[in-house]
Amino acid sequence: MRKKVLATLMTAAMAATLFAGCGDSAGTDTASAGGDTATATEGGSTEAAAGDYKFEIIVKSYQSSYWQAAVKGIEQEAEAKGVTVNCTGPNAESDIADQVNMLNNAINNAPNGIGLAACDQDACLDALQAALDAGIPVVCFDSGIPNAPAGSVVSTVATDNYSAGATAAENLYPALKDKIGNGQVRVGEVNQEATSESIINRGLGFIDKFAELAKADGYTVAVIGNEKYVNDSKAETVAEADADIVIEVAVPAQTTVELCATEASAIMNKSDTIGMFGSNQIAAEGILTANENLGVLGDKILAAGFDAGSVIKSAVSSGTMYGAVTQSPLVMGITTVDVLCDAASGKSVSDVPTDGYWYNADNMEDPEIAPNLYD
Amino acid sequence: MAGDLKKKSIFAKLGGQKFIVLLVVIVLFTFFSIASQDFRKYTTVLNIFDFSYYIVLMAIGVTFPLITGGVDLSIGTGLICYSLAGGYLVVHLGWPTGLGLLVSVLFGILIGFANGVLIAVMGLPPFLATLCTCMITRGLGSICSKGFGISWPTTGAPGSWFRSIFKMQIGGTKIPIGFIWILIIVAIMAFVLNHTKIGRYTIAIGSNKEAAVLSGINVKFYHIMAYVISGFFAGLASIAYAAVFPTVQPGTGAGFELEAIGGAIIGGVSATGGAGSIEGTLIGVFVICLLKTGLPFVGLQANWQQIITGLVLIAAVLVDIIKKRREAK
Repeated sequence: MRKKVLATLMTAAMAATLFAGCGDSAGTDTASAGGDTATATEGGSTEAAAGDYKFEIIVKSYQSSYWQAAVKGIEQEAEAKGVTVNCTGPNAESDIADQVNMLNNAINNAPNGIGLAACDQDACLDALQAALDAGIPVVCFDSGIPNAPAGSVVSTVATDNYSAGATAAENLYPALKDKIGNGQVRVGEVNQEATSESIINRGLGFIDKFAELAKADGYTVAVIGNEKYVNDSKAETVAEADADIVIEVAVPAQTTVELCATEASAIMNKSDTIGMFGSNQIAAEGILTANENLGVLGDKILAAGFDAGSVIKSAVSSGTMYGAVTQSPLVMGITTVDVLCDAASGKSVSDVPTDGYWYNADNMEDPEIAPNLYD
Repeated sequence: MAGDLKKKSIFAKLGGQKFIVLLVVIVLFTFFSIASQDFRKYTTVLNIFDFSYYIVLMAIGVTFPLITGGVDLSIGTGLICYSLAGGYLVVHLGWPTGLGLLVSVLFGILIGFANGVLIAVMGLPPFLATLCTCMITRGLGSICSKGFGISWPTTGAPGSWFRSIFKMQIGGTKIPIGFIWILIIVAIMAFVLNHTKIGRYTIAIGSNKEAAVLSGINVKFYHIMAYVISGFFAGLASIAYAAVFPTVQPGTGAGFELEAIGGAIIGGVSATGGAGSIEGTLIGVFVICLLKTGLPFVGLQANWQQIITGLVLIAAVLVDIIKKRREAK
């Protein structure tokens, strides 16, 4: 028995040496080759400065293919830079407490930097202070944290969500223009929640831009529905009864497709509804699910979505969905690792805004658009 | 005493709580139809049916553990887990759709069996045992799909035939044929519950377990069977979910079981076990579904929908308690 244990231990030890050796040689090989891919965990980096940094990155969830693309970008770049990245994330984007827990664990692991896509813009504040005290730089991506303790978040890599939401309005409004002016019309907006910075800003960006464009044409607007969006909107509004255009904002109790679909179908069933906007993949898929029975999209109602994924992509290419705004999660993941490396090596870093692109059936195949349309 | 008996028989003639709940369904439907002109459309009815199938199926299954005096909390996250596992095989590994669906159902039966063994053989309290499998299936689902959401073949794509199990298009009209299957399943399971050993012994375990043991019933076996049935129906529900919604997201599903359990309780399944009916469960689920679909139409914010559903549930349990007290007198 004892012999067996000893043998196992020795085998394990030998195997470990073997792997370590492999890693080293791979590292040197790459260095001499001049910057090819190094093994992610073991090999030294091509740049001396990158050292063997260890980063903890926390995504919002693994729920949608959007995050799959971001994680792909992170892993790709970690491998290219030869740094170790530990990626985690809660089960669902509404699991705020779980994510805070993960952030605290990440801080306890004392990494060289933390990448964070926060589910809630206020829940992480204490943990960020702890990271600051521990001297760990935090890079926020996808969603920023506006009230973060000074110095804790060194950079935010994110789509300018407010202007990305506005992009949807800029493209949807001209298409709806003909239907506005003959009596009150309704434009619905489905947001999966009212807690994260990215979703809130997209929703507000759409409302404000739509109202601005309508006002320029001499129409009045009312914003009704979820209090958070109604109160935070900067749009000039009138009472619902007097408005030419009513923008109705719905937020489900949980971030699931079927609840988004229920909210969406309530708005899409109204006879005066002419437009819909779903501010992320789940909300946009909710609108499409509601349409399965209603069959109003593309004809009576024009819908704009956000993000990609196979369901939304096929709806856009078939014309069921008028168009959608996509971000580049892949680029965001890559940039996050780059900024983390810079921050860890003491370089000064700043915010990196990434773009949102409008796509529809006509430009989906364009070389600037296609790579951002993940499945 | 005689008066009491008479009163009870009139109540029973009308179907008892089932009758009241059916009235509630009709009243709710009428109320929403009057309150919102957009509600009274054929498409809304279609939506209510579409969004009800997976809850009804879960509820039919969970009625069995509930009648034994237990509960099955693993059906919600389980449903998502089974659908992710089957969907992964179909979407990423190219398995035929039918095989993927079969895997979903078998997975459900397996977890149901595990629940049964934990509870009937190892003696874990049902609440605890199924809470654990609830967490396990939530995590398993993410692992099965490598953490990614799964989109089963969309309508029109090859392998999407299973979506028309629940909705057929005849001419320009969509027919919710899923409801016909549901009615058939309800009839079968009502027969199973009332006229077969499995059903009779399920009720026996719930009303008096010791008596059941003493009368020579293989209590362990039938107790396990109640959870296997629940798991099997969670597997069927996973097919209904995949057929109606475009994507299945890992990490979701927690809370679905409460709608199913809530529906069963509203439909007259005793919160302490020993009594209940499948047709009652069906009607009870429709109370929940009507509230879920109808309340957004009258302009109520999502959080209020949950509060109202909770209050309705309290009312249903209170009816059960009052009924029991009367019977005890």
